Amino acid sequence: MPRTLTSTGLTDESVCPTLVPILTRRECLAVAAGTALLTGCGQVRPIVPSTVSIARAPAYDQRIYETVRRMLEEHRLEVRGQNVVLKPNLVEFEPDCCINTHPLLVHAASEAFRAMGAASVRIAEGPGHRRNTLDLADAAGYFKTVPRFEDVFVDLNLDDVSRVRPTRQFSSLGTLYLPNTALGADLLVSMPKMKTHHWVAATLSMKNLFGVVPGGIYGWPKNALHWAGIHESIADLHAAFPRQFAIVDGIVGMEGNGPIQGTPKHVGVLVAGRDPAAVDATCCRIMRIEPLKIEYLRLASGGESHITEPSILQIGESLSAVATPFELIPEFRWVRMEDS
Amino acid sequence: MPSRRSRRPCTPMNIGILAGKQNRDGGWPYLRGSSWTEPTAYAVLALLAAGETEPARRGLRWILAIQRPDGGWPPQAGVDWSTWVTALVALLPPEHLGARAHARAIAWLLEATGRESTMTYRLREWLLGNPRPPEQEFPGWPWIPDAAAWVAPTSLAVLALDKEYRRRPLPAIRDRIDSGRRFLLARMCHEGGWNYGSAGALGYESRPYPETTGMALAALRGVRSPRTERALTLAQRFLGECRSADALNWLRLGLLAHGQLPAGYCHPLEIADRTLPDTSLGLLVAEAAKGRDSFLA
Repeated sequence: MPRTLTSTGLTDESVCPTLVPILTRRECLAVAAGTALLTGCGQVRPIVPSTVSIARAPAYDQRIYETVRRMLEEHRLEVRGQNVVLKPNLVEFEPDCCINTHPLLVHAASEAFRAMGAASVRIAEGPGHRRNTLDLADAAGYFKTVPRFEDVFVDLNLDDVSRVRPTRQFSSLGTLYLPNTALGADLLVSMPKMKTHHWVAATLSMKNLFGVVPGGIYGWPKNALHWAGIHESIADLHAAFPRQFAIVDGIVGMEGNGPIQGTPKHVGVLVAGRDPAAVDATCCRIMRIEPLKIEYLRLASGGESHITEPSILQIGESLSAVATPFELIPEFRWVRMEDS
Repeated sequence: MPSRRSRRPCTPMNIGILAGKQNRDGGWPYLRGSSWTEPTAYAVLALLAAGETEPARRGLRWILAIQRPDGGWPPQAGVDWSTWVTALVALLPPEHLGARAHARAIAWLLEATGRESTMTYRLREWLLGNPRPPEQEFPGWPWIPDAAAWVAPTSLAVLALDKEYRRRPLPAIRDRIDSGRRFLLARMCHEGGWNYGSAGALGYESRPYPETTGMALAALRGVRSPRTERALTLAQRFLGECRSADALNWLRLGLLAHGQLPAGYCHPLEIADRTLPDTSLGLLVAEAAKGRDSFLA
């Protein structure tokens, strides 16, 4: 069962009326916990909502280039002269479309950021349990889809590293060795697949950052993160990279026993935004998963990271128009949204 | 089943490529950039096998300079813990590495286990009433301290200890080799071969991978059983299908260890080395196929 959020000592009545009066009790508790952490017991700052866009994308075809370009314009990202690093989710040697982030989406994002004036756009990933990253990318179709792929790709498992301490820490990891390519990015773009996950219920843009943890230091899999607490480690990584954007590949996702052995789930959407927590919370609602029951989302919320519906300014398609319940393994059926 | 790739004449790989990629500090990167222990250990092994002693000597100096006080090696200079790469350093000939450094590497390996095999963990699980899964009965090796044991680091540690046991047949070494092999056999996938971890999780079976299947078979040299036969059959199939240099290297080593690499088999030219360890390992496999196996002596 989820960890309680009442340990701050704040009651929902003492905080919520000042914030957003239409929150549910549970949402109030989550907001209260996050806000108290930042402001020091009771000093409430007004919430600036996180913008999250949902766009329809029925298939992996040429239309995706225009869709991604339009989404990035909507978010008014300023990347002129900046170094952008795209972080897809590469997991398995599968050409099928439901395990790995589709290469066409990654190429579309790369083209869009270049057109917006980015000084460099690199693609970087450090898979969790397959060591031969370039072979994996080849099998997933990246060499065929992305011109001169090897020149723009960085294997984060084998990149040079620096030791950092995340600004907010939730796990017992202490300092972390992280790859310089990711740390040095002006904008790190997490590009996960919309999938269920057999340890954390849903894997989206925040969980995708496990792929920046270098296997060269931590091994394959990055098992230290599991022992230190998966949810807590996800929240640590979220805090370690403050300059992020998220684009979730929800064209074909995965339900059931994800992130590898599940079954394809066609949703036909892309979800994007500057606040990965808000993007992931929105994806959860699309999957009919209650985001407030996902521990890493609750841990990360607060400050500029929002997960409650009223604190997210949603643009594009409406949630109700695209939501579709994802099948969950029995261990996680309790995270379903109550009206599903 | 002979591979369809076995009929073309072999092209020897160039040891000069490897020597040319050596960093100024004496170590090797994975591809470019800073020196790491894994590519350096493999490069030194390959250079020594080829009789290229000068770059090997500089590599050995780099390796010796970063040995940690506990006798193990970090993956890279400046990292604060000793890891699985200690097994690779332990494969280096003691007459080149130095007897003391080598002995401390072996001692470190003999002490290392996965966290699930520690007394503290087992006591905690016992107090919580959690039964021990059969696959946790035998201790294996983790990638890093305080983490669980996995197939790849266990296979490499068994290879290093097996090589040591041929020099020094001590019971303590034999016992860890035995337990490591039992660990591997307990984790074999239902269809033969090995995933990177368990044979299954949450009631779902795991699929075997070519690279870990090759590694585990190399570590199971001399173990004959219906289970290893099943794994060898799968390895033969992987050998014909696989598109990864790293995986092909390990499959060849695994099959060689059981005398089942198809005669005249050559690494397909169209499959590129992606990293320097791929190149080094390819050279070592080629030497092993000629009877000069650096993983044995």
